[in-house]
Amino acid sequence: MEKKNNKMKIIVLLIAIIIIAGIIVVATSGFNFELAYQPSKKVELYIGKEFEISDIKQITNEVIQNQEVLIQKVEVFEDTVSIISNDITEEQKNNLITKINEKYQTELSAEEIEITSIAHMRGRDIIKPYIVSFIIATAIILLYMAIRYYKLNSIKVIVKTILILAVAEALLFSIIAITRLPIGRLTIPMMLIVYILTLLGITNKFEKNLEIKKIEEEKN
Amino acid sequence: MKKVKILTTILAVVLVSMIAFLGIYSQVQNRMENKVKDYSYTMNLKGARQVKLKVNEESTTVIKDENGAEIEETEELTDEQIAEKGYSKEEVQNNPQEILTLDNYKKSKEIIEKRLKKLNVDDYNIRLDEQTGDIIIEFTENDNTDKVVSNLSTTGKFEIIDSETKEVLMTNDDIKSSSVMYGSSSTTAANAGTNVYLNIEFNKDGAKKLEDISNKYVETEETSDSNTTSEETSTEEETTDTEDIETESTDTEEDATDTENTETESTDTEEDTTTEKEITMKVDDQEIMTTSFDEPLRTGQLQLSIGQASTDKETLNGYVDQALSMATVLDSGNIPIKYDIAENEYISTDITEDNIQIIGYVAIAIIAVALIILCIRYKTNGIIGAILYIGLFAIYSLLIRYTNVEISLEGLFAIGVILILEYIFMNKILNGINKEKEENNKDIVVKEAVKTAYKEFFIKIIPIIIAIIAFCFMNLTPLSSFGMMMFWGIALIAIYNFVIVGTILKIKAEKK
Repeated sequence: MEKKNNKMKIIVLLIAIIIIAGIIVVATSGFNFELAYQPSKKVELYIGKEFEISDIKQITNEVIQNQEVLIQKVEVFEDTVSIISNDITEEQKNNLITKINEKYQTELSAEEIEITSIAHMRGRDIIKPYIVSFIIATAIILLYMAIRYYKLNSIKVIVKTILILAVAEALLFSIIAITRLPIGRLTIPMMLIVYILTLLGITNKFEKNLEIKKIEEEKN
Repeated sequence: MKKVKILTTILAVVLVSMIAFLGIYSQVQNRMENKVKDYSYTMNLKGARQVKLKVNEESTTVIKDENGAEIEETEELTDEQIAEKGYSKEEVQNNPQEILTLDNYKKSKEIIEKRLKKLNVDDYNIRLDEQTGDIIIEFTENDNTDKVVSNLSTTGKFEIIDSETKEVLMTNDDIKSSSVMYGSSSTTAANAGTNVYLNIEFNKDGAKKLEDISNKYVETEETSDSNTTSEETSTEEETTDTEDIETESTDTEEDATDTENTETESTDTEEDTTTEKEITMKVDDQEIMTTSFDEPLRTGQLQLSIGQASTDKETLNGYVDQALSMATVLDSGNIPIKYDIAENEYISTDITEDNIQIIGYVAIAIIAVALIILCIRYKTNGIIGAILYIGLFAIYSLLIRYTNVEISLEGLFAIGVILILEYIFMNKILNGINKEKEENNKDIVVKEAVKTAYKEFFIKIIPIIIAIIAFCFMNLTPLSSFGMMMFWGIALIAIYNFVIVGTILKIKAEKK
């Protein structure tokens, strides 16, 4: 029993350290966002025929070195390419156009192509729409938990559930912050998985406790 | 016989798996076409419409009279005429410098978000350039996309003004909400059908103002004959005006005829009542209607007829769309800054087929390892379990396609969760059979094992079921996609394991 308690203490301490470290990282350097959510520069080039993203990737690797690049096909005919990167200079744009002209025999002119700026997408704008949904779902679950585990003290069950769910999500975001994993399209799915798995874990634990309680009651 | 039963069921599962994973192909013209329905994807996995709204930097030439009042009908005035009349010409910025503030940029973004929600666009990304005020919106491409785009750059400025003095009587601030209403008209055979109305509900102040206006701008001192004429005119005027909205950009000829009608009517009215005062309703500086009131309006609501009564579904849908667009724009408020659509294009997702293939291969490898473990651990039962596990995955993939669930990135994760849950469940059943094997007769063992597995498993996932049902009803595509995929997956686990897995294992147990 003591061994189990010690193990539990170590886990709690570890979680606390990770969350504190996460808070420090967020406070000092913030989250790392994936390119699609960062302020960036975009160049759109009309190729006029179908092309492979991998071919364009080769060109961008040569021209825009050491930078993340996002390449997307534009319009239904997919004959235009959109190249997004943290920064695209005039020189890089000119080089891109030259190489695209060489590869696809196009006659793109640097004067006609603009580098456009794309504003960043705020993290809160990504998360905001989900907050109400999570609150509603959690409120219904808490109500169920309070009824189902009333023998374990409903208030305690509710508080524990809220705490564990909050700690689990905080842990996820701390790990994301510490490991510099980019916040982006995979963040919400990860939040959902953590939410679902935490719920599974909590219910499993409460079911076990309920079973023990029932056995104790039967003994008495 | 029992062997045949098991083999038949397993073969049926294998057949369904082949249909799900490989498809059914038939020749259509000169190519082979898969008859099995394709998956539908959300914005993240398919692509999105990207619209860039740029702050308008243009200016408009305004002609003012000697008192500084703006002259509206200036199209035919030459420079000489302007000088003769003592008017002055000015270049006015569409967006004066003082309104180009961060607060107004943010307000514009909020209003656009409101419009998107009102137009049922729940899967969108919006970003604001706080320096320039430019806004980029990405949202799902579907049949309504162009309609949505047309509502994004509209300013939504609503005004009721005095037709003569141009005094602004009511603005967007007076509107509480607006909606689309229907009404049937059956006065004459020609007019019979359904009418579409734009219903504008005013707030407390607005309702008071509307009552005052309808008291003040009323048709006065008319004989009974002229009253009848007036009523007819009023109704016609309303119809004429709403027709104006509909045909403004397309049917110039009709527009001209309408204007002619209105002019004639005005002349008639002038003959009857010289003291009549009229109001003009404007949306985005475009005249919607000019009218007076027959009686005071105390309800705080104003109904504008859109188009004419019709029985044709397509025509009515057109009117409804038009009314809905206006309602959306009025309801969400007035964008303080004038925007132009600078970019409007379809952007494919950057998640390529190669990316999905890699994820697929990794998933297959993990599943293969997990199933091998199942086979080693539970021997023959494990092999049957592994085949049935693949069968569940196949049926699940068909179910997703035929229930029209849109797959999002969140949905892909849901597939993963379902496969894990099914593995846990299958393991529970097979483990239960092994545990109870020695104590009871074979038939009861399977029954008990399945029963226990169901009880233990489903009681533990009740909170998850609650969460996914709640997510299904959320007006947020990625979340509802996750919820729907989880819902169908759990429903399938419950039914499939009871009907197929339980039965086959029971038959196998009886066989020995």
